[in-house]
Amino acid sequence: MVNINGSEVREGLYYTKEFEWAKVEGDKVRIGITDYAQKQLREIVYAELPSPGTTITQNTPYGTVESVKAVSDLVAPVSGEILEVNQEVQSKPELLNEDPYGKAWLLIVKPSNLQNELVKLMDFNKSAEWHKTLK
Amino acid sequence: MPKRIVIIGAHAAGVDAASAARKKDRTAEITLITDEEHAGYSRCGLPFVLGGQIPSFKSLIVFPQTYFQMMKLNLKTETKATAIDTTKKTVETVDKHGKTETIPYDSLIISTGASSFIPPIKGKEKKGILSLRTLEDGERIDRAIKKGAKTAVIMGAGLIGLETAVAFHERGLKVTVVEMLPQVLPQMLDPEMAKTVQEMLEQKGITVLTGKCVEEFLGKDEATGIIAGGEQIDADLLMSAFGVRANTQLAVNAGIALGETKAIKTNARMETNVKDVYAVGDCAETIGIITQKPALPQLGTVAVREGKVAGINAAGGYALFTGGLGSAVTRLFDTDCGVTGLTETAAQRFKFETISGTISSKTRAEYYPGALPIRVKLVVEKESQRLVGAQIIGGEEVTQRINAISLAIQKQMNARDLAKADTAYAPPVCETWEPFVLAAEMVLMKLR
Repeated sequence: MVNINGSEVREGLYYTKEFEWAKVEGDKVRIGITDYAQKQLREIVYAELPSPGTTITQNTPYGTVESVKAVSDLVAPVSGEILEVNQEVQSKPELLNEDPYGKAWLLIVKPSNLQNELVKLMDFNKSAEWHKTLK
Repeated sequence: MPKRIVIIGAHAAGVDAASAARKKDRTAEITLITDEEHAGYSRCGLPFVLGGQIPSFKSLIVFPQTYFQMMKLNLKTETKATAIDTTKKTVETVDKHGKTETIPYDSLIISTGASSFIPPIKGKEKKGILSLRTLEDGERIDRAIKKGAKTAVIMGAGLIGLETAVAFHERGLKVTVVEMLPQVLPQMLDPEMAKTVQEMLEQKGITVLTGKCVEEFLGKDEATGIIAGGEQIDADLLMSAFGVRANTQLAVNAGIALGETKAIKTNARMETNVKDVYAVGDCAETIGIITQKPALPQLGTVAVREGKVAGINAAGGYALFTGGLGSAVTRLFDTDCGVTGLTETAAQRFKFETISGTISSKTRAEYYPGALPIRVKLVVEKESQRLVGAQIIGGEEVTQRINAISLAIQKQMNARDLAKADTAYAPPVCETWEPFVLAAEMVLMKLR
C-alpha cells in the first residue's frame, strides 16, 4: 500500500482513470471505488447500484454515488454479469468513506472479456504514478 | 435531448451552481467558462498565502480537475465569454488562441464575479498599482515582495485591505493603510468597535491613516507613491483595495437588467429579468433579510448559496435564496473580527432606531490561563426589540458566536429571547455567563 498526497493506492488491484478498482478473485472480479474518489466526494450518503443478474460493460456507467455536495457516475472497470451486489453499502453508504477497498466493495461480477479488458486497466505501479499527477 | 446548462464563471458561485445542477439532473450537459487559467480556487485565501500561513497559491484550488471529471462538468479555462444572445439562447466565446465558438444553452447562469476598481484619481493610469483579486494578482504581489519591496501603501481599510496589510507586515514590509472614511472596516464595524481594531493594528506596527482621501498617484510611468490628505507617501508596493465592482457588462449588453446596487437584478430563484438566465455571486444583487431591500454582500458564503439555488433551478428544480445578513468574519494577527446583520451605522441608513449593548469579557474563565479578551456588541431595533445585528472582536471563539447570533436574527428573536439563551460552560473554553447573553441583558436594561 502506498499513500499518495493523502490517498491510498493498494497492491493487487487494477485501476481505471474513472476512479474504480477491480480485483481478480479466481474466475470472478470484485469492483469498487478508490480511496481518492471517496475523499473527493466526501461524506457519501447514497449509492445507486444495479441488481444481480444484470450486466455491466467496461467504461460504461452502471450506477451513481452521491454525497452532500457531489455526485459521480460509477463506471465499470470490466464487463460481465453481476453475481453479487454489496447490500451493506446500499444501507450504509458511509462505508465507502471508511473502507473503500475493503468492506465497501460494490459488485462481484462474472467477467465476460477479462483478458482483453485487463490490459486496458492500470496496475498498481501505473496507478500509483497516475495518482501522483492528481491534486 | 439532454438539457444544456452553461455557466459563465468557475469559482465559488459557478462551481457550486454546476454541482447543484448535476445533482438535480444526471444527464444535463453542463459547461463552465472562465477566462482564468485556474478554476475553482478560493479567492478569500489569497491574503493568507501572501502572509505565509498557506504554503502556496496552488493550495487554494478547492476543486481540482478530477472534481470536474467526476461530476461530468465540461470546463473551458482561458476562454472568455464575449456575448450572450438571449433570443437565440447562445453564448459567444473566444479562447486564448483566438478561436471563437457559439455555445447554445437551455439555461444560463452568469457568475462573472467582480473586479477591483480605482476611483477617478489623478494618475490612476500609471503602471504598478496592484490589486488582489485573482491567483495571478497574488503571484504578481508575491514576486514584488521577493524582489525586495520594503514598503507598502494599501488604499482601503476594508477586509481585503486589512488582511493584505497584515500579510505584508508578516513578510517584513513597512505598511501604511489609507482609508477615506474615519474608521477601519466601515462595512463591518461601528466606529467604537473599529477603534479597537485600528489600535491593535497600530500597536503591531502598521500605520493607519483614516479620514484621508487618496488625491494623486505619483511617479513617472510607474506609480511610486501617493498623495493622501495632502501628505506624500512613497512606497515600493502600491495596493488598491478601494473595493470591487460587479462585472455586469456582458449582462448589460445582452439586455439583462441591473438593480439599485448596480449589480444584476435577481429574484429569490436567482432568475434575472430574462427567461432562463440566472445570475449569482459577486455580480448578482440579492436582498437583505432585515431591511428587505436590495443588497450586494459580495461574500463567498452568499455566492455558494446563490450558486446552489440557481443550479437547482437551472436544472429544472425549485429552490429559493431569500437573502442574507452579510455575516462575515476575519482574522487580523491574533484578533478575530466578526459581524452579522446591521451595524448601528447601517441601521441608521435604513431609518431604524436602535439600542445596543456591548460587553467586554474573556474567552475562558477569568482565572483560567490563556483567557483572551472578547467584546460583543448587539444591535436591537427599538420598537420590536428584535435583534438586527452583532459585532464581535476577540482573541478566539468569535466565528461560532456570530453564527449563533445570525441564526437568532434569522429566527426573528428579540433581546429578551437572547437574554434567556441556554448556553454551555467550562472554565477552559468559556465564561459562565455567555457575553452575548449579558449584552442582551444590557439592551433590556436600556429599554426599561
